[in-house]
Amino acid sequence: MSGAQNQPTGLRYPSNKKTIYDRNLNRTKNAELSRAAFAYLFVEMISYAQQRVRGIADLEKRLNNQGYPLGLRLLDLLLSRSSNPLSSIRPTRILPLLQFIAQTLWRHLFGRPADALERSESDASQFMLYDNEPLVNQYISLPREMSQLNCAAFVAGIIEGVCDGAGFATEGVSAHSVAEQEGGASAGGGMWPGKTVFLIKFKQEVLEREEILGRGGG
Amino acid sequence: MSYTFTILSPHDTPLFTHTFGTSRSSGTGTPAFTTADLALNPFIIHSALDIVEEVQWGPSSTSGSAPMYLKHIDKYQNNFISCWITGGNVRFLLLTRPRDEALGISAANPSSGSASSIYSTGSGAGSVRGSLAGGRAGLGGGAGMYNPTSPATEEAVKNFFVDVYESWVKTIMNPFFAVGHGDVVKSPVFRARVQAAAKKYL
Repeated sequence: MSGAQNQPTGLRYPSNKKTIYDRNLNRTKNAELSRAAFAYLFVEMISYAQQRVRGIADLEKRLNNQGYPLGLRLLDLLLSRSSNPLSSIRPTRILPLLQFIAQTLWRHLFGRPADALERSESDASQFMLYDNEPLVNQYISLPREMSQLNCAAFVAGIIEGVCDGAGFATEGVSAHSVAEQEGGASAGGGMWPGKTVFLIKFKQEVLEREEILGRGGG
Repeated sequence: MSYTFTILSPHDTPLFTHTFGTSRSSGTGTPAFTTADLALNPFIIHSALDIVEEVQWGPSSTSGSAPMYLKHIDKYQNNFISCWITGGNVRFLLLTRPRDEALGISAANPSSGSASSIYSTGSGAGSVRGSLAGGRAGLGGGAGMYNPTSPATEEAVKNFFVDVYESWVKTIMNPFFAVGHGDVVKSPVFRARVQAAAKKYL
């Protein structure tokens, strides 16, 4: 092992002598994963999360936890890719952050922007992000006794990771199926049976900070 | 000039520290900190975190985004702190300690070369050295003084941070690196990258 002599630290290099630091952060566009490979992996992730799980909420929590570290990483990766690195910027208000999630993050993960972004009328700290046809749910059919489950909880975990990482603490991000709540007759439910809403609820201190920053007036 | 570079997690845990000297103008790259300085530096860096939290959200007039590079943010005696904050709220803090001459502490005349250095050691320079008040008063004017907000200094520090940031993003892309759990960066390759960036720009 020639590498062992000049590396007394015990660091082992891959056979091509390229560490992660030698690899480019900007992948080309055609470096997409096949949908079949993703679906297969995701099924395994769900069945892993399902082991010794107590209920639907517990299962969704585990899926959420699987997504969370991804969000922390994607935040920095996408910010560093988004523009000229010499003028790196980061979101400091709620709306630009949500735009970042709905546009940049969604494009990176699913190849298209999210379908709608709304603020709750009753609760100012709550935002709704809609996806008419979540990619993660495409090959998932729920048994009757688990109709409450929405496996997009994994994506909700990614969103939570992005928000938390950027300094916008949330009470939690959850995924819900729209069709089952509003019945098939309401808007969206009929045309998009898999329509999913991600509820993002920010903590009170985030809203307070937002208000102070907005009031400052510059 | 001597530098201490520290990466701090969002929960203020130091994840990586590197102390080095300048490689510019025949510098050897070794820091000129005394043992006391080395012990004090972490305190100076941590005290600057308060300032970071004040300025990190940017002026309210901005359109909801702020730059990652916060430039020169704090000064403690003769130590200058620059900051870069990543999207994930990890702070890169660089403490700069300029040479005494660049602070005007030893009143050497830069124009007359070696003769003046002999002259200044002979005369009353000793009384000026060690007097912080005199050193700070001398900061106001004069060419050749260290100025943390000069465009050249800001650009050099920025280039350094940009290089480190790229390596940092690669670090957190490692699936075995627990982001946000205060995982310390142990990779010798990362350290080598930081050293290379320091040598190139600072």
